[in-house]
Amino acid sequence: MTTDTNKFVIPIGPQHPALKEPANFEFWVDGEIVTGASVRLGYVHRGIEKGAEARTWTQNLYLMERICGICSHVHATAYTLGVEKLAGVAAPPRANAIRQLMGELERIHSHMLWLGVAAHEGGFDSLFMYSWRDRETVMDLLEKISGNKVHYSANLLGGVKFDITPELAAEIHKGLDFLEERNKFYLKVITTDETFIGRTRGIGTMTTEKAEFLGAIGPTARASGIARDIRVDAPYLIYDQFPVKVMTHTSGDLHGRFIVRINETFESIRVIREILDHLPGGELTTRVPRRIPAGEAVSRVEAPRGELLYFVASNGSEKPERVKVRTPSLCNWSTVLSLAIGLKLADMPMLLSGIDPCFSCNDRSVGLKSANQDPQIWSWEKLRQYGIEYYR
Amino acid sequence: MASTVGSLGAAEAVLTPFAVAFTRPSPERLDVTIHPDNLLTAIRALVDESWGYLSAIIGIDRPAQPPAEGELQAEGAVEVLYLFCSGAAVVTLRINLPYSQAVIPTISGIAPTAMLYEWELREMLGVDVVGLRVTGHLILADEWPEGVYPLRKSFTGFNQAATVVKGA
Repeated sequence: MTTDTNKFVIPIGPQHPALKEPANFEFWVDGEIVTGASVRLGYVHRGIEKGAEARTWTQNLYLMERICGICSHVHATAYTLGVEKLAGVAAPPRANAIRQLMGELERIHSHMLWLGVAAHEGGFDSLFMYSWRDRETVMDLLEKISGNKVHYSANLLGGVKFDITPELAAEIHKGLDFLEERNKFYLKVITTDETFIGRTRGIGTMTTEKAEFLGAIGPTARASGIARDIRVDAPYLIYDQFPVKVMTHTSGDLHGRFIVRINETFESIRVIREILDHLPGGELTTRVPRRIPAGEAVSRVEAPRGELLYFVASNGSEKPERVKVRTPSLCNWSTVLSLAIGLKLADMPMLLSGIDPCFSCNDRSVGLKSANQDPQIWSWEKLRQYGIEYYR
Repeated sequence: MASTVGSLGAAEAVLTPFAVAFTRPSPERLDVTIHPDNLLTAIRALVDESWGYLSAIIGIDRPAQPPAEGELQAEGAVEVLYLFCSGAAVVTLRINLPYSQAVIPTISGIAPTAMLYEWELREMLGVDVVGLRVTGHLILADEWPEGVYPLRKSFTGFNQAATVVKGA
């Protein structure tokens, strides 16, 4: 703690600022009440945009989906759509349907992950453990489709790698039934548990006007009554054939953000069932040239945290001239800094987690170096052993 | 919600006094090239009309091509794109800043969300954003040297040749 005349500044982070990810916050407090706040990001900046300029269009697909381990698919989708626009090709309908299905499964796992984190920050560890246990169901479904729980890597330039067989469709249906039942239970808990309501209702309230002014997006904005969702406003993939409803809430507080995300989970479950029941036939891929014609494309998709924008520029070669990624978490930070003022310091962890911040989103530099400073590729076993030794 | 064509038409009407050129790269996009001196007034006009929201500020390094024999080396530039979105419509304001005049005013007084994007632009591409009330680094390490901008094409790493990716 430092003092500046009568102002107390409490630094939190970059290690574990309530979240298990790095950021540095300074909260100025008067007693327990926060009177100002600032944030410093970039602790895990990886230079991905620069790295993209040295890689081929195909290599970048794998780089982009590693921006985030939670929403890897939506990054790959946004990038792929941008490249396909430049190349003047469209993926087959079945591929786009599978992309949409994977995207909505990803939203379910992301929202359930967030529910657990937010509950934990509020002191509701039972809810945290329940939601993370149940989230394994959707993770298992993603693994059954792709072979991977996290980086499913379903996209290709021009289509998808994995098909949905009737047997797989039946398993997904079964998993969705379970997830729907569990999310109904969570909705009941968060709307009836007095202690939970006490920690969320009326906390961090953001009016529609303020959300607009601060540039909030995604579920954070929708919980303040802003009906903005790229899946509806600018349908991509086949959201025009399998539309979703925009879930909003008018309370604008933390409680509203819980309700919006759970309702969005139900909506994802509904649209996945619809896709499974009417999955278009045909091919999974179409051919995309190795060299992408010169030009620029903007692609926008609705990631679990809100609008994700990719700007892709080609100079006609095998590598992009520029790839710009504007991630949703970046947009929502100003809401936290603004809403913190007047709240108690103890409310900060929940307020922070309320926007579902993702530091992969923000930071996009991780270097692994050995003791002699030579960069090298480490095996999983070696990395694991290094971790054990480091923390011993 | 107004149609995409209607939205783009409304933006075109608002931006006509400032436009050097309009282009339509795709049905949902309108690109407007403006002079840097008109940046603030053009953005204020969009904001006053409540046209959409600022979605991103993007900087692109445009180094000069090597000169032909006997000619002088031309100066490179940083192009800055301000993307505004309304529904499916995307309006891009484009300004071109030669390296020697890479100075722009902050728009964060009009659009508060611009602050982080402008900070990134300053740090990664060396565009001086006048009026931006933040100091220090946003993304780069504290010990990062002054005057080295990683998203300039001329930056290829420290003490090493241009990055070569295996298989690329």
